[in-house]
Amino acid sequence: MIRQVEKYRHQLERDGAVRQGRVALVAQDDLIREAGATDLCRIGRALLSEVKSIALVIGEPWLPFQNLYPLCLAPESQRIAPLDTETRTFLHDIPLVRRHHGRIDWADVAGLLGQRKGVLVEGVGIIAVGSVTVEQGYVNFSTLYHALFVGYLLHLLQDEPRCAEIVELGPLLEQLAHPIPQLLDDIAAGPFADEHAVRKAIEQAGQRTVELHLVDSFFGNISCHVNNQLMISQTGASLDALAGCVDLVPDDNSTTAGLTASSELPAHRAIYAATGATVILHGHPKFTVLMSLLCDEQGCHIADCWKDCPQVRYLGTVPVVAGEVGAGGIAKNLAPVMADGIGVVYGHGVFAAGTVDFRQPLHKMIALENWCRREYQRLLGQKIAGHEKSGVKSGSR
Amino acid sequence: MNKVTPPRNLAGWCGRLLIVDLTHQKSWVESLSADLLHDSIGGRGLGVRLLRDTYQLDPFSAAMPLIFAGGPLCGTIAPASARLSVVSRSPLTGTIHASSCGGAMALQLKAAGYDALKITGVSAAPVLLSIAGDQVQIESATHLWGLPVSNTLAALKPVGGAAIIGPAGEHQVLYANIMTAEGSAAGRGGLGAVMGAKRLKGIQIAGKKPVVVADAEGVERSVNDIMRLLNAAPVIFGELGFAEYGTPALIDLLAQRRMVPTNNFRETFFAETSRYAAPALRRRYQPVSQGCHDCPIACKKATRDQQRLPEHGSLSHFGALLGISDLDIIVAACRLCNDLGLDTLSAAATIAAFSEASGEGIRAEDLPHRLGQIAMRQEDGDLLAQGARRLTTALGCPHLAMTVKGLELPAYDPRGAYGMALAYATSNRGACHLPAYPVAHEILRKPVASDRFDFAGKAWMNIVAENTHVVGDSLVACRFVFLAAGLEEYAALLTAVTGVDFTATQLLAGGERIWLSERYYNQMNGFTSADDMLPERFFQEPGSSGHGISIPAIDRQRFLDERARYYRLRGLDDRGQVPSHFLENRL
Ligand code: SF4
Ligand SMILES: [Zn+2]
Repeated sequence: MIRQVEKYRHQLERDGAVRQGRVALVAQDDLIREAGATDLCRIGRALLSEVKSIALVIGEPWLPFQNLYPLCLAPESQRIAPLDTETRTFLHDIPLVRRHHGRIDWADVAGLLGQRKGVLVEGVGIIAVGSVTVEQGYVNFSTLYHALFVGYLLHLLQDEPRCAEIVELGPLLEQLAHPIPQLLDDIAAGPFADEHAVRKAIEQAGQRTVELHLVDSFFGNISCHVNNQLMISQTGASLDALAGCVDLVPDDNSTTAGLTASSELPAHRAIYAATGATVILHGHPKFTVLMSLLCDEQGCHIADCWKDCPQVRYLGTVPVVAGEVGAGGIAKNLAPVMADGIGVVYGHGVFAAGTVDFRQPLHKMIALENWCRREYQRLLGQKIAGHEKSGVKSGSR
Repeated sequence: MNKVTPPRNLAGWCGRLLIVDLTHQKSWVESLSADLLHDSIGGRGLGVRLLRDTYQLDPFSAAMPLIFAGGPLCGTIAPASARLSVVSRSPLTGTIHASSCGGAMALQLKAAGYDALKITGVSAAPVLLSIAGDQVQIESATHLWGLPVSNTLAALKPVGGAAIIGPAGEHQVLYANIMTAEGSAAGRGGLGAVMGAKRLKGIQIAGKKPVVVADAEGVERSVNDIMRLLNAAPVIFGELGFAEYGTPALIDLLAQRRMVPTNNFRETFFAETSRYAAPALRRRYQPVSQGCHDCPIACKKATRDQQRLPEHGSLSHFGALLGISDLDIIVAACRLCNDLGLDTLSAAATIAAFSEASGEGIRAEDLPHRLGQIAMRQEDGDLLAQGARRLTTALGCPHLAMTVKGLELPAYDPRGAYGMALAYATSNRGACHLPAYPVAHEILRKPVASDRFDFAGKAWMNIVAENTHVVGDSLVACRFVFLAAGLEEYAALLTAVTGVDFTATQLLAGGERIWLSERYYNQMNGFTSADDMLPERFFQEPGSSGHGISIPAIDRQRFLDERARYYRLRGLDDRGQVPSHFLENRL
């Protein structure tokens, strides 16, 4: 188990989700194993002894949400509702534990961790648990991080951020200044000679998607359509470790051995049927996800936009539609708008297709994410500029 | 009947237990306290609790109760949560046995105003128990005795819910099932024989009481949360999932994983599985979907004339385990089992053991005759009616019984999934995939994928899953919803239904307590760590490797090491015994 603990600590730092050196993993079965920052390990150990889980991850996100959310939420608010749809499905909401008289009630934190997959603790960071594996703790941490990131960055555009928040945004502005590189030259060129070549290409493209941070943790899915069958990544598979995790699903369903295929199988199938594409890549690039949530429609009466919005909206030239995961409508809504081989699902992620190999979808996905970053940067710039002006006028808050 | 006032302010539960004494032909109601219901939840937990004073009795003794219990979510809009738990001591294994089944029984039991029905005693002549709200009647069933399930139902035309036994239960075949009117079985441990020993042919029950929930809005919110998770789970609502194809969807998958028990577990691959796999079933029968009461998944499949089609395990054991590939023959054999009230898995596995032990091949066309002989205990059938362990012992070759604690292994070969190997060994009811359901992570990758050829971490995963599923069986919710949702969602739902605060941690702790009670009862009935063991074959003989997948024999030492870890993490001593301090705060 110590290998797992080390692996996922390393992975969290590599993912860029946490500040370097400010994460810890603690796991227990008959023995306690831990890795990471000593002070965080100590907190983790104490909590894990109270919670019936095998692993606990505690870390400070690189944008200090543990300080920012308490500032931007109403003082009595103790829940953060994720806006992105995938997180909503799996987390419902995220408890926020605040300091009272400068202190954290750790018993409260332990109690919440017994009920939920993770919490945000004021001044401390994100804490997530894995009930049966270390990997689960890592995945839950990443999912919380993704939800908090999307929610907070959206707040920056939609509400009036305080000065105390704006001063914390340096790292964000720094990140926005660096677009994701189009690292594609070594990506296997199609058409692929045989099944083996397809598998290798899938593994490579999956790996690259993770390396370029086009997903948080390693979720997303990928497929190739050849010889009347789909080769598609399995549900819950790590995009950066797809060897042995690709299922064969014949178009005529003549076998159900692909029962473990990705939950987005219906979406992949519908896109192939509608477009004549041969490869599809699906990821959750953060800025694309959050920009897809921006909507300036006035007087709209729809409450559950993520599933009920009937409109096709656009990020630049890329269409955005609503729809829930799996059997929930992505397939139906997305396939008709995929003529250019790329489409976004509201608050969820991108499906990008190609006709030859994975260079095309990777290229499209990176280009879109970079467009969304630039757009976000522009809007945030306006917001900050407006803030500074009003700050000068009225004195800072 | 004396009047009992249920505890006030009880939403989700009724606070009432109906007791029927067949010896003295009388019935009465006892109240169940709110504390007891909160602790035991319902279903399996309540049933186990109600066995506290009788668990050491012989399963066929008059005083051994047979308990039918529903759960607090039943009758609400909670998905897949109207199942029934039947609990007693198994005559096949001698363990405590809880079995979950579908049908309308649980709903009607609650509508009649009871959390559970406890039947004790033995009737002098065959009887039928009819419950309509507060009216309880014990009627003669002499005219029904001897009839198969279908004929009994045709004669009875039950309104509401019904559970009956077939000839197998009447003849106390040790693996006789109780069948519901809808074709669901309370299966495996022979509770149909317990019912037969009481000369109780059937129960019909109907009621009209409305179900009250504490927080209707909260219930709706929780149900939406759960439905979103079910929709996102390929195994449930995916294009190849259970809603679409039923559990037979597993047949191709397990064949691909080379873990199909074949020829009495001598091999793990059968070349002809596709002849009876889900796509073949679809081509042959164009099935329609049926579900347990109000279940949105509706994983049961039936022919157009509403004849239930077999599930994965039944198809696989009458297929690969017996070396048969003819779909019509397999389906007919499964149907016959249901009509006779025989457990399909144990019946097929016992026949497979008999075939290997006697050297007699299995002729597919002889199956109906053979099954009839078992149900009526005629000729060889009398020996086969006692299950694989007793049969092979009588034939002098006990090593050919593929059983744990006397229960025949189901259709997942343990050489293909080590968590499953451990789960078979430690299950409180003998070799069964359901108590820990490692199929979830080892095969279906839910909630996270685990390496099926590695024992590492499996002890803990099984413990969490066992505790979770005890809660599920107490709620009584279907196993399959836990492939997508978890206790986090069900705690919120239970809280909304009952108005009592439940958390996932609390529920898990309750599940653990119920599980330990079962283990403790077994221990007091003589079970030891020697019973937490797989048949020798799995440590000696490899499975059928191929297609780049190697299926070696299981490493005994690794198995024993993980079992020892399991004992430690469970808080058992190194001989697997429940510590005496558990007595102080047991259920
Ligand atoms: S999923 Fe299937 S077995 Fe479970 S409750 Fe629904 S119909 Fe019954
Ligand atoms: Zn996605």
